[in-house]
Amino acid sequence: MKYLNEVWSSRELLFNLVSRDVRGKYKRTVFGQLWSLANPLALMLIYSLVFGVFFPSNPRAGDPSGLNVFALWLLCGLLPWTFFSAVVSSGAGSLVDNANLIQKVSFSRIVLPFSTVGAAAYNWMFEIAVLLIAITIAGGFVLPWIPLVIVAMALLALFAAGVALLFSIANVYFRDTQYLLTIVLQFWLYLTPIIYPIERVANKSAEIGGLGGTPVRIVDIYNFNPMVHFVALFRELIYDNRFPDPLEWLICLIWAVAALSFGMLVFRKNERNLAEAL
Amino acid sequence: MSDIAVRVDHVTKSFRMYHERNQSLKSAIMRGRTSIHEDFLALDDVSFDVPAGSTFGLIGSNGSGKSTLLKCLANIYYPNKGAITHFGKIAAMLEVGSGFHAELSGRDNVFLNGSILGMSRKDVTRKFDEIIDFSGVEQFIDQPVKNYSSGMYVRLGFAIAINVDPDILVVDEVLAVGDAEFQEKCFQKFRDFKAAGKTVILVSHSMPTVQAMCDQTAWLDHGVLKAAGPAKSTIKAYLKSLNVEPD
Repeated sequence: MKYLNEVWSSRELLFNLVSRDVRGKYKRTVFGQLWSLANPLALMLIYSLVFGVFFPSNPRAGDPSGLNVFALWLLCGLLPWTFFSAVVSSGAGSLVDNANLIQKVSFSRIVLPFSTVGAAAYNWMFEIAVLLIAITIAGGFVLPWIPLVIVAMALLALFAAGVALLFSIANVYFRDTQYLLTIVLQFWLYLTPIIYPIERVANKSAEIGGLGGTPVRIVDIYNFNPMVHFVALFRELIYDNRFPDPLEWLICLIWAVAALSFGMLVFRKNERNLAEAL
Repeated sequence: MSDIAVRVDHVTKSFRMYHERNQSLKSAIMRGRTSIHEDFLALDDVSFDVPAGSTFGLIGSNGSGKSTLLKCLANIYYPNKGAITHFGKIAAMLEVGSGFHAELSGRDNVFLNGSILGMSRKDVTRKFDEIIDFSGVEQFIDQPVKNYSSGMYVRLGFAIAINVDPDILVVDEVLAVGDAEFQEKCFQKFRDFKAAGKTVILVSHSMPTVQAMCDQTAWLDHGVLKAAGPAKSTIKAYLKSLNVEPD
C-alpha cells in the first residue's frame, strides 16, 4: 500500500516523462504525429495482400455487424497487438536507456517503464480512433461500444505494463533480454489469432483430438496465451459489435491484475539495486 | 535532534568486484553461475553527524569513498549495514541537467527536470522566473537545449536544482564548471542557504574552496573515516598526510 502511494505521488513526473517522449519523438519531422499511423498502415497493407488475397484466411463476417472487410477485421486484432508489442519492447529497454538518470537522481524508478506505456497508449488512441471511424464508414455500428472499448484498452494497458516491468528488470541483469524479446514477440504474434481466425485453430485441434492420448487438445494450450483473449475482446466489440462473453472479460481482468501485481512486486524487490546493477 | 541535519550511523557499503561477469543467459545456463566476484569495501563503518545549518565538506583522495557516501546520502545507493537518517527534506545535485531532452526547449526542460528532482508543477511555475534569472539563459529559453553551450546547459541545470529548496542540499563537484562569475553566484547561493539555517554537504577536491566554504569536514581515506570535525584541523591533517604543507 505504501508503495502504491509512492507510485501515485509520482504521477506528475510520469506525465512529464510521457510528454517528453511524445513531444520529443517526432521533432523535426515533416509529418510529425502522422508517422505513428504509418507503421500499422504498412502492416495492414502487407497482411491484407498476403493473407487477404494470396493465402486468404477467410474470417467469418462480423456478427451481428455484417462487416466483411479483411483489412478492418485484421486491424481489430493488429492494433492491440502492435500496442502491446511496442510497450513490451520499449518498456524492456526503459531502465537501461535511462541508466544515467537512475545513477544520478533519486526518484520512483517505476515511472520509467510506466512512461513507455503512456507514450505508446497516446499513439494507440489515435490508431483506435481512426479504426473506429473507418468501421463506422464501412457500416458498423460501433458507437455504443466505445465505453467498453476503452475499458478493454485499459485492461490491455495494465497487462502490457506488468509484462514490461518484468522485462525491464530482466534486461538490467541480462542484456540478452531485449534481443531475445524481439524473437519471442515474433512467435507470440503468430501464436495469436490476429492474421488468421481462431476457428482455424479450433478446427485443426478438433481434427487431431487429444494430444498423446490425453484429453488435452491443442486449443487448450493455445488458450493459455492471454493475447488470444484480449484480441477476442477487441474483435467482438469493434468488428462484431456485440458484448463479449463475461468469461472472456474475466480472463482478461485476471491476466491484467496478475501481470501488473507480479510485475510491481518484482520491480519493487529490485528497485533499490538498480543504480548498482546498471 | 534539531541540531543535527544528517546522522550517518555505522554505514558500510560494499560493491561486488567481478572477475568474470557474464550478463548473458548463455553463460548463466551453461555454467550455472553468472559471475565470480569478491566484495570490495567502499565505505567501512563510517559514522558522523552533520550539524544543522552547517556547510559540511567531504574530502579525501580519489577512490576514498566520497562519491559512494554522497550517493548513499542521496538515496541512490543503499548501505549494506548501518543507517543514514536525515532530519528535513534532502535534495542531491550529483549532476546537473539530468534527464534533459536535447530536442526540447529550455522551458520544457525546466519543467521536466524540476519534476524529476521532485518539484510539483506549481512549484516550478512559481519559481520559473527565479530559475531563468539565475541561469542567465533567458534569451534562449525557447531554443532546444542541444543548441546551448555547455556553460548555458550547466547553468540552467544548476538553477533548477538549487531552486528545489531543500533543507539539506548534497552537492557533488558540479561547481568546477561555469565561468568565474557564475561560480561566485553559486557560492553566494550557498551562503544564502546557510544564512537561512539550511545545511549543505559538498564534495570537492579543491582545498581552497572547502576552506572558504565549509565549517565542518569529514576526511575519508579508502572508505575509512580518518577525521571529522572543524574544517581547519581536518584539512590540515589531510594535507599533512599528502605531504603538502598547508598555507
